[in-house]
Amino acid sequence: MSDTPAASADDWRTIPPQPLPDVDSQGYWDATAAGQIAIARCAECRAWVHPPIERCSACGGPLAFEQISGNGVVNSFIIMHRASVPGQGDAPHAIALIDLDDAPGVRLTGRVTGDPSLVRVGDRVTAHLIDVVGGTYRIPEFSRT
Amino acid sequence: MSDQPRSAIVGIGRTAYTRNSGRTPLAMAVEAARAAFDDAGLPTSVLDGVTCFHTMDSAFPMDVALALGTTELEFSNAMYAGGNSVAEVVRTAAAMVDTGICKAVLVYRSLNGRSGARYGTVAGPIEVPGEMQFSAPHGYMLPPQWIAMWASRHQAVYGSTCEDLGQIAITQRGHAVPNAHAISRTPITMDDYLAGRWVNEPFRVFDCAYEVDGAVALLIVSTDLLPDVKSEPVWMLGSSNSQSGVGWVQWDDPTSMYSRSAGPKIWQRTGLKPSDIDVACMYDCFTYTVMATMEDFGFCEKGQVGEYFASGRATYGGDVVVNPHGGLLSEGYVHGLNHHYEAVLQLRGQAGVRQVPDAKLALVTAGAGPYGGANVLGKDKP
Repeated sequence: MSDTPAASADDWRTIPPQPLPDVDSQGYWDATAAGQIAIARCAECRAWVHPPIERCSACGGPLAFEQISGNGVVNSFIIMHRASVPGQGDAPHAIALIDLDDAPGVRLTGRVTGDPSLVRVGDRVTAHLIDVVGGTYRIPEFSRT
Repeated sequence: MSDQPRSAIVGIGRTAYTRNSGRTPLAMAVEAARAAFDDAGLPTSVLDGVTCFHTMDSAFPMDVALALGTTELEFSNAMYAGGNSVAEVVRTAAAMVDTGICKAVLVYRSLNGRSGARYGTVAGPIEVPGEMQFSAPHGYMLPPQWIAMWASRHQAVYGSTCEDLGQIAITQRGHAVPNAHAISRTPITMDDYLAGRWVNEPFRVFDCAYEVDGAVALLIVSTDLLPDVKSEPVWMLGSSNSQSGVGWVQWDDPTSMYSRSAGPKIWQRTGLKPSDIDVACMYDCFTYTVMATMEDFGFCEKGQVGEYFASGRATYGGDVVVNPHGGLLSEGYVHGLNHHYEAVLQLRGQAGVRQVPDAKLALVTAGAGPYGGANVLGKDKP
């Protein structure tokens, strides 16, 4: 007998969706595991490309992940009044599209912490990484600054 | 489009729209297809092309053909797509006939959209590949979320409101009231709309399409067969498409949709303008889809759609009748092919109590967000 309780057959009802990385996106998840947010960028024309793919969509050049600050602006947001997706904890909460300062034209999505009724389009935010329950992945969450 | 059209829509068919069909998508597709052949007065033996769109929830063209007694198809295409490809699938079917490759092509959509797998249903651990791997872990992975997100941006930039979205839901429900085929026929007021539960703010339950089980079929044939056709043919006057892989998160301006290019293209190609259109079957997976696409297709200015509906311009006696059948919001979500069905019915003058007087031109749109298209159908041969 182990001291660790056996995983319940119903765990999937409470565990959030897990990402399924591929060769092109693995670098993004490796960066978050190391505590950074990194976006794919062309080594030749310097275009940012997200979601990451093998070669630059603008010029066909090689891409490499480049760390960004995680600062940005709320482009839009919704308020979840109930959990539509497993593992999302408290409701209500806000989910936003974030325009990134350091990678123009690229957006990330994420929760905005705090009272969702206070969130506005145009709010400045900064990212911090949180663990995704049920696996080894980390994702950005945003706080208004 | 060539000067002399070589194809026409001559048959329409459908099943009942229900909450629980208890039938296979194959059985429903075949029922709708036989109804379309009966409507046209043609035997199923003329069939040489079958096409559909699906999300791994339907029957395949060869199986539908077999169930109709046809064991050989010249054209058999099941496009993996949602409502964004309705116009594209219909246009491609017509093109197969226009180019002389096929004589008679059946287009169908059949699904158990209510009793089968529904969006947001969880049956086991979720692992998400592709574009959505970045947002699914924080619970952002469902269509009502994506489109509410775009509506929220529109509200911030143009000052549109939830009440504006409500005007669309209320008008379309009013249209569904006399439609015996509609799944949802109880009139709603603004108070009812605002009392609806949040799906995710700014969308309430009345902002969302009503998922149903059912099938719709269209039959498009060569003009060579028209002497044997008993129905009044309806003509494809033009088509446009704008399918983008940019996705729901990276699209540059969520206050506009695919229609910002598909709209101008279809007017340029047909030489028509919004004020020429009698019936607008606007794809309405959600109310905001109608708002953004009405603006993009040029029916009204940005931020004015709520007033457009509130003042009666989108109903009988107004500028154009938008979704006279009630649309996907109220007639039922047969993934948008029911919009083509309604357009044909209206152009033939067979829509009964909801007939749009003297309807000659119909715009049928399909899709939302980054991807979609449209067809213009006409009563008179071009």
